[in-house]
Amino acid sequence: MEPAIDLKCSLPTEFTTLSPTALIWQDVLAQAMTGELMAAMNYTSLSEICDDPAEVADALEHAEGEKGHAAAFAAEGRRIGVVVPNNVNAKHWKRLREAFLRRITERDFIGCLMVQEIMLESFAVASYARVGKVAKGSLGKTFAAIAAEEEEHIGHAMEILQAERALDTQRFDDKLYQLHLEVMTILAEMLAKDCRTGHCEVCHGSCVKPALPDVTLSAAELRGASLHQYLQTLDKLGLPGEVTLTWVAQLPV
Amino acid sequence: MGGSTAGLAKLDFALVGHQESWRAAADVLAVLRGPEHTPLPDDEIRDILPWIPPRAVCHVEITSVGGTKARGLYVDSFIPPDRLQDAYMRDNIARVRGAAACAIKAEAKIVSLGGFSSILIEGNFDQLPERHGTAFTTGNTLTVAFIVRGLRQMCALQSRNLGKSTLLIVGATGDIGSGCARCLAHNVKRVQLYARNLERLRRLAAELEADGVQVEMATDLRQFSAPADIVICAASLPSPSLLLASIAPDAIICDAGYPKNLSPGAEMPRATVFFGGLGQVAGGMTFSPDLHGILNRHPFPDVVHGCLLEGMALALEHRYEPFSQGRGFITQERVAEIETIAARHGIRLAPLYNADGPLDRVPAEWLSHPPATLKIGSRPTRFPVAAKIASATAGAQTDSALETRRVPQVSPLRPGILLGKASRVHPKGQEKASRRSDTLRNLSSDLRQNSVALRLWSGTDR
Repeated sequence: MEPAIDLKCSLPTEFTTLSPTALIWQDVLAQAMTGELMAAMNYTSLSEICDDPAEVADALEHAEGEKGHAAAFAAEGRRIGVVVPNNVNAKHWKRLREAFLRRITERDFIGCLMVQEIMLESFAVASYARVGKVAKGSLGKTFAAIAAEEEEHIGHAMEILQAERALDTQRFDDKLYQLHLEVMTILAEMLAKDCRTGHCEVCHGSCVKPALPDVTLSAAELRGASLHQYLQTLDKLGLPGEVTLTWVAQLPV
Repeated sequence: MGGSTAGLAKLDFALVGHQESWRAAADVLAVLRGPEHTPLPDDEIRDILPWIPPRAVCHVEITSVGGTKARGLYVDSFIPPDRLQDAYMRDNIARVRGAAACAIKAEAKIVSLGGFSSILIEGNFDQLPERHGTAFTTGNTLTVAFIVRGLRQMCALQSRNLGKSTLLIVGATGDIGSGCARCLAHNVKRVQLYARNLERLRRLAAELEADGVQVEMATDLRQFSAPADIVICAASLPSPSLLLASIAPDAIICDAGYPKNLSPGAEMPRATVFFGGLGQVAGGMTFSPDLHGILNRHPFPDVVHGCLLEGMALALEHRYEPFSQGRGFITQERVAEIETIAARHGIRLAPLYNADGPLDRVPAEWLSHPPATLKIGSRPTRFPVAAKIASATAGAQTDSALETRRVPQVSPLRPGILLGKASRVHPKGQEKASRRSDTLRNLSSDLRQNSVALRLWSGTDR
């Protein structure tokens, strides 16, 4: 498959042998890089519906930041001797992008923040933090550092979202629930312990999930951590725990 | 929609707990998931549950017999049922703290800490988050009240003379164990105190001896001079068989540990085991979402652990105070006080039962509105108490508080039998009865699970 954005991550010539886990990390990096590139595209799209020049600048700055994260993941791939592919048109990622673009079409700034900051970033922060704990050396540090940066993004967006929720709580929560159904269902399918709906179109060969225990990770752990982060983000927004628990309990597995 | 999320008024109480078994957790999640979704597979539940942060699960409303209502919230700490061991202590305390924070955020006026949560916190109240006017109680005083009352009732049913009995308390130095010792020491011939901490044992023994009580203490059950004929297990034993060497063959055993893991079996065929510390709400309770019979998995309606009922009773009484706090402060006077408060609102000792079903007599109010799960019949004869009830009480007899009926010939754990009168008894009978019969069926399975899980657990004293 062709990368959607070429970050010139060609394989360095000095690598002749790969570590046994390099191909696993290649797939993990590919998912992360695809997510970052999609986030960059989302923020760029968001800038197009912002009226306030400061918000436009903010969104574009975020987009640049996400591209920087993608480049950092590509660089980590080079360090371990692999090319990190990306595919924002892969089936799950494409659906996520389409869900975001529907909010753009509606010029729904708050809806965009809900999708990107509450849902997609929760997934990114939790997953990167877990990888950051188990990956050794530079790879682990990069994941951990990017997780921390993404968490900062969420913190900034939370202020806007909390203010919006205070204006009309029920309307805000209803909208969030509709987006939850649309977006979190896709994420839950992505995070399922095995890819029951076929190849994800990002992993370079077969699904990487069964191999994750080789790098002391597991699909179940990544999913659990993501749901934990998502629920905590919803808690911070002020949604009642018993309501969001039901939302999550109804997600597909 | 995903449920109303706005405009929640201040709550009277909150209850902090967690699921005792994976089966119970699965049932809770199945209700939340709704009938339109397939239930989560067991392996998925085991994967997901440990990641759920502490949070409210449902709203609870309790009605006093006087008609007063109190509104509350059940907050689950989501301690995984297989992680009760000491190795998870730090994580579990963090979870209880998280659950307490949810209760505080919800502005509950009083919070009851259920079962294992109170074990974790009873000696560490300073580890709770800043409380902002929310009172916390372990609920242990009402638990003690129900244990003591249950034991007296079982002794009466078996015509046992408490005054000639040797009482063994397992987990004697915990808050509940020591409370039971203070309440019963003067009513028995001799008290045997068993716990792991020798220093605390010495202190409690000295306190009781100073009051003229004949006391033995040991950190090994085999060290006692005589077998006990009445036992209170205030802490779960790593293995029920540990009791065998220390008790009389026909002992009465109150399983008040958490989770409960004793059941009458081949090892103790003549002993009578009952679950202690449980109360029943005569005015009824409602849950939203409807987790009735799932969060409180007992073979009788509106039965709840005494520790949780204490907070609800205090809320109905508008006494938002830390009635039970710390360890070792439960006295006879405090027990009498909380029992009086609870009774004023129709919260009384639950019908006695064990893993095999009901053991005692039916409260009078049930005769007009019998619960779906109780079928009137005769007891299986392998239970001495049941045989006694069956022979002595063929037909209904009434005393001041309780009315006796015979109970089923076959095991009440069999849903087919239990469903017998369901549709006649309840307007929504079939569904509720089905759920309760499932509860009963699952009880044995839960106990077996707990039995296995608790062998790994060292039995923290309550």
